Amino acid sequence: MRDYGGRDAAAAADLLVLGACVVVALLGYVLPRPFAAEVVTTLRQTALRPAVALRERAARDRISRFALAGIQASRDSLALRVMRDSTLRRENVALRRLVGLGEATTMPWVGGAVLHQPSATDGLTLSLNVGREDGIHQFDPVLTADGLLGYIWSVAAQSSVVLTWMHPDFGASAVTADGAILGFVQPVSVGRLGHPMLELRGVALSDSLSDGAEILSSGLGGVFPGQIPIGRIVGIEPDPLGYERLYRVAPHTNPGTISHVMVLTTSTEDGSVATGTGESPP
Amino acid sequence: MSHVWTGTGPRRRRSSDRLRFGLVISILLLLEFYLRPSLIEGRGMPDLLLLVLLLLCLRLSPGMAALAGLAIGLTIDVLSPARFGANMIAHVALGYGAAWGRAVFFADNLAVNVGLFLFGTWCRNLAVLLLSGAALGRLTAEALIWGPLQGLTTAAVGLLVVILFRDWLAIRIDR
Repeated sequence: MRDYGGRDAAAAADLLVLGACVVVALLGYVLPRPFAAEVVTTLRQTALRPAVALRERAARDRISRFALAGIQASRDSLALRVMRDSTLRRENVALRRLVGLGEATTMPWVGGAVLHQPSATDGLTLSLNVGREDGIHQFDPVLTADGLLGYIWSVAAQSSVVLTWMHPDFGASAVTADGAILGFVQPVSVGRLGHPMLELRGVALSDSLSDGAEILSSGLGGVFPGQIPIGRIVGIEPDPLGYERLYRVAPHTNPGTISHVMVLTTSTEDGSVATGTGESPP
Repeated sequence: MSHVWTGTGPRRRRSSDRLRFGLVISILLLLEFYLRPSLIEGRGMPDLLLLVLLLLCLRLSPGMAALAGLAIGLTIDVLSPARFGANMIAHVALGYGAAWGRAVFFADNLAVNVGLFLFGTWCRNLAVLLLSGAALGRLTAEALIWGPLQGLTTAAVGLLVVILFRDWLAIRIDR
């Protein structure tokens, strides 16, 4: 005779375990973002430290194996550019002395490698192989050679997580290159296929921008310093309420393909954020 | 006398089975965390953590598979936290669903197992994106391009693992 009682008991136990797992998962899901960041940081520093360290080592090995030629080429082109601009820099220093200005302030930064994950959400957030021990703090701005990528969302001892411009929670105060028009950029899906782009909001109806206009960070808001390239205007969207102009901005950076970033270490030890001067991003 | 199990009779689980199963899982984890990222990275690559979960689903009861899904979901949430908890929910549902479906509906054959790897990856990716609040474009691209691609690569690796380690994993395959 079959033991239906035993099978029922096993099924009930399975359902009980499932219920407990669902409750834990839902609690994680509704956890406020600062607490979630704390949990992520703690687990990255303890239970998952070997996994993070292995992935970091793997990224370093891959870069040294496959990306060295590209890095050397970009270093050489930068060296040429520095040589070409050296006259301009000397003139600039001389002019600053002439009008009694000190040296331009430079912002310290830390270079890091991106550890991509084979996950569907890779690109919304990115893992970096640098962390608190390298001088990185939460909300430090993250850039690439092309422009703004995002900011540090969670930071562990030797690793960190970047929230990129593609993430629904991203937002930055922006300004046109001539400093005339201020606005706020946020991610948006464009077209029927929903291409990820940024949208410049808060532009007055009396102001207008032409396609191709450069958009930079404004330095307002306390997270991003000023004058960091964000993207270019590629079109205008109708505002359903008719209160403002909405512009589509094509960002300069693609989070899905980036392998190296620069983290501006603008935060202070006590957690407060120093606002940038906007004079000299790296 | 051959020690290879042919799937024609009852099979007793030995302690060495667990050791062998653990060894296969360890190899997959090493591949996931070191070997694959040291050679190639990008979307569409096989997700070996998910493969570990699906292999566990072929052995464990639905409740234990849900627990394994919670652990693996938490790991992915910590490594790639676009929306904390999204991976936990998706993996718990997938773990329980796969183990329960296997006990009730799925036949023990290679094609079904490969289908489970492929469909499981696709469903998990869509569920995680939906729970993460991703834009419509990203969902469409995932449903039509990246999800099937990652499902295929994961299923290909899964097929290889099942063929190579069938006896170690104690997976019965009808002939």
